[in-house]
Amino acid sequence: MNKKLIVYTILAFALILVAIFAEHLCPFDPYAQDLALSYNAPSVEHLMGTDAYGRDMFSRIIIGARASILSTLALVAIITIFGTIVGVICGYFGGKLDSIVMRISDFFLAFPGLVFALAVAALLGGGIINAVIALAVISWPKYSRVARSQTLSVKALSFIQAAKLAGDTPVQIILRHILPNILGPILVTSMLDIGTMMMELAGLSFLGLGAQPPIAEWGSMMSNGRSMLQTYPWVVLSPGFAIFISVVIFNLLGDTVRDCLDPK
Amino acid sequence: MKGLKKSVAFVMAMALTMATFTGCGAKSETATSQSEVSSDAKKTFTFGDTTFNAENEEANIDPHDTYCGWACIRYGIGETLFKFNDNMELEPWVAESFENVDELTWKIVIKDGVTFSNGKAVDAAAVKACIEDLVAVHERAAGDLAIDTIEADGQTLTIKTQTPKPTLMNYLCDPYGCVIDVEEGNADGIVVGTGPFVCTELVTSDHLNLVKNENYWNGEVKIDEAKVITISDGDTLALALQNGDIDAAYGMAYANYPLFENDEYTFTGTPTSRAFFCQMNYNSPVIKDDVVRKALAMGIDKEGFVNTLLNGYGYVGVGAFPDNFSFGGDVVTTESYDPEKAKTLLEEAGWVDTDGDGIREKDGQTLTIRWISYPSRQELPLLAESAQATLKDIGFDIQLNVTADHGTIVAEKDTWDVYAAAFVTCGIGDPMYFFTTHCLDDSSKNRGGYHSDEIQALADEMNATFDAGARGDIAVKMQQQILDDNAFIFCSFLRMSMITKANVTGLVAHPSDYYEFTADLDIN
Amino acid sequence: MKYSIKRIIQLIPILIAITFLSFAMMRLAGSDVVEQKMLNTGQVVSEAQLEAAKAELGLDKPFLVQYCVWLGNLLHGDMGVSYVSGKDVFETFISKLPATLFLTVTSILLTIVISIPLGIISAVYKNKFWDYLIRFISFIGNSMPNFFVSLVLMYLLGIRLGLFPIISKDMSITSVAMPTFTLAIAMSAKYLRQVRATVLDELSKDYIMGAKSRGVKFSVILWKSVMRESLVTIITLLALSIGSLLGGTAIVESIFMWDGVGKMAVDAINMRDYPIIQAYVMWMAIIYVTVNLITDLSYRLLDPRIRLEDARDE
Repeated sequence: MNKKLIVYTILAFALILVAIFAEHLCPFDPYAQDLALSYNAPSVEHLMGTDAYGRDMFSRIIIGARASILSTLALVAIITIFGTIVGVICGYFGGKLDSIVMRISDFFLAFPGLVFALAVAALLGGGIINAVIALAVISWPKYSRVARSQTLSVKALSFIQAAKLAGDTPVQIILRHILPNILGPILVTSMLDIGTMMMELAGLSFLGLGAQPPIAEWGSMMSNGRSMLQTYPWVVLSPGFAIFISVVIFNLLGDTVRDCLDPK
Repeated sequence: MKGLKKSVAFVMAMALTMATFTGCGAKSETATSQSEVSSDAKKTFTFGDTTFNAENEEANIDPHDTYCGWACIRYGIGETLFKFNDNMELEPWVAESFENVDELTWKIVIKDGVTFSNGKAVDAAAVKACIEDLVAVHERAAGDLAIDTIEADGQTLTIKTQTPKPTLMNYLCDPYGCVIDVEEGNADGIVVGTGPFVCTELVTSDHLNLVKNENYWNGEVKIDEAKVITISDGDTLALALQNGDIDAAYGMAYANYPLFENDEYTFTGTPTSRAFFCQMNYNSPVIKDDVVRKALAMGIDKEGFVNTLLNGYGYVGVGAFPDNFSFGGDVVTTESYDPEKAKTLLEEAGWVDTDGDGIREKDGQTLTIRWISYPSRQELPLLAESAQATLKDIGFDIQLNVTADHGTIVAEKDTWDVYAAAFVTCGIGDPMYFFTTHCLDDSSKNRGGYHSDEIQALADEMNATFDAGARGDIAVKMQQQILDDNAFIFCSFLRMSMITKANVTGLVAHPSDYYEFTADLDIN
Repeated sequence: MKYSIKRIIQLIPILIAITFLSFAMMRLAGSDVVEQKMLNTGQVVSEAQLEAAKAELGLDKPFLVQYCVWLGNLLHGDMGVSYVSGKDVFETFISKLPATLFLTVTSILLTIVISIPLGIISAVYKNKFWDYLIRFISFIGNSMPNFFVSLVLMYLLGIRLGLFPIISKDMSITSVAMPTFTLAIAMSAKYLRQVRATVLDELSKDYIMGAKSRGVKFSVILWKSVMRESLVTIITLLALSIGSLLGGTAIVESIFMWDGVGKMAVDAINMRDYPIIQAYVMWMAIIYVTVNLITDLSYRLLDPRIRLEDARDE
């Protein structure tokens, strides 16, 4: 068993657990203000200092993991599942449906991603859920492409023909034979996407199109803390490093999963 | 193997060369631009400003267009008939005197020798043309001035109003009253005024290029060229000033002030009547409850907001006007920050947290307040987040929506509860301005449908009063009334600050927040 | 040739779809466009005025008719006026486009300068110290959001070292330096890996083995064969990255006050200035699609094998 894979998986799960149980891990209430504590430098009590409102940065980073990590994972899950379903159906059945759907996905691929996400976010207004929707709308076609091409290659194999002859329904074939065989490449694609998606989501928040204050989200925390870079650097660097470390962990995991499944 | 090393060496050399090449290119560029500055004797002043943009209704410098007059007067392009002194009283400027002949008639004498920057002399006819254009095109001027007829005779201008207008002269000194040569038109939003600077190029929300007015009537202009750069981000503004890209800055983020509290920079600051205040929406059932408004007023930590979040660069607000006005400061009283009392009040009124989520409810209605504000004034998001936390402690659920799109939201009656905004309450030196714009039944900014019989009556009284002292007394009563109703909460007043490099002189903050660039502006 | 024509014809429905979507988005966002516009100018409006204004803009007509009218205007370069500044949208867009294109070109050039040499070194020294170091750096670069990089660069290069101006006053090398670095760091980190993979792939091919065994110098192999073969792939990848670059400039432009279309779009989004947003989305998509087409066609010219494959397909 690959040691790297185990280590990175543990790290990634640790992050996710932090995000899920954030409330119980915060040493302070991340939203409680105490102006007397405004801009305290990092200390033993406040590991990452406090912000303008005297809120504990460490607690805010932890609670921010929820908005940042869980919404990223939700986003990746949505596009993976939706993209795969569409791709498999197109690949398996082919025909008119296939060509229509593929034209649509061509169309989405024809748009420069972030430009379109900006537009959708502008249309929907701010908010973390809207940011997730905006990115989901532009990102699913990639998955349907992968799923479709994988389905096409698996479909041609003899055991599928055998299953067909044995009288399996298309749904059975897809679930029993096709999905298990194409899951690898799709998993790799989505694992590698987590880091990118996290950065794009934070980018939208940074522009004010994602999470709204006072919700602690790393991208918007950085955006709000920008002016403190020189005077109170911990306010902006803490969320910056939180994003960086999470992206590193998910990227390492993604790379390792790819190397395991696709040793080339 | 030898070949491999060679090729790698070559690749690296190539990369290095390219990197050095780009690096050198960059360096030589800086070198030349620096030598240009030193060899050239021209004095160029660069000013970074957060406000000169379309979002702020300052898309250009034509005073007859929305709030563009602010840019016109601030950057020394236009001048008004009279100018406010530090006590916000009128002093001669383009005009030398005025006389209030009767309730409806005003005689203004224009100074001899004042010229537009194109060299043309300013006479009463030119001012008449300017005011007529203003009234015809400007959204607020016609109502403010209520002009019936204007007569021009040599340097004497006679204005008759439709109704008695005690504050006519003050209104004419609003930035929209800049005297411009209307015959020159306003192509690209550029106008010709009488000020020390002439605009040569204007790009909305980006920059404004100015040159010295060679014909300036009021002394020699010390700076040859000035450039105003719009930097909407307070943080970039700080970096630009530190880096030397700009010589002075307006609108610096408070968090960056400590960076400039040293010998290399000069602060110029003054209290202004720009109030940061909350306006209540009486169309909202929750807000209609007197106790809720009172509790809101008790739940905002004004002291903490000013002293901590604004680094002390501000003044705690009580009524609509700051301390430096005779009718301002603590001549009125209002609720102070008292969360415990607010809790008791709410409790007694039946607002109780029954489901234990920390938010109070009454008759199935939760104590949710939709707080609308906007980010272009950096104080407002700080106020919003601060108030959200202190009010939550009392049992309010404050839902923030701090957006540049605030206008659309508050234009609807039922989409908001509290609107936090910034407004210059006494921009023309007279207290009536705020009440006319915000508190009367027909006020354009009475967004929350506030109505008070007392205020309506007092306003009528004020409109018929010409004596400044008596007007001040009425203003105190009116403030007390809106504070007793808790229709407005005045949180703080802006300490208007500009930060300049130490070698800049002549840039002085003015209580009106209008005058910035003058002939005295200089770089040593 | 046949292929080129086919590709260009395929472009037409995509272009129509892009314009249609931009138009639909605008209508979806602003059934209240007129109200929005009047609010932005601070006017108080009556119902009758609203109706009149809507009729003037043709908003009372059926959707498809509106679209056709709009498309007709579009072909004449008329995209309406900005709600905020009141200026012509198309002119505004065109005036800001050169700044963005300049930034895009400098970023791509810098990316090439960084990623190709480092990628080759990394491949040649596979699993040695240099490879690990370069891959480590690329990994770091790949994991930092560009706004974080921007802030750090601003602080280090602009303030601490005072090398570059903070606000980009003009289109000079010094002004464009920091936004370019920011964009190039992320892109180089990504393309370095691609370069490495491509070169490794090429190096493992039979003919390289053959050449080696025939005693051809490795440097000659690297330059004559590997580089030529890899370059096509790399250039294609770079050209395709223009799309993500065009979008990515939005954040960087607004941080560095670079007066391009990206900053324009972000400002417009904050102000709900839909005509500007619409112009931005539509033209960016058109530029992207066109660049993709040109890339596709030109690398077919470069690489004869692809042309043969096509010939077989047809």
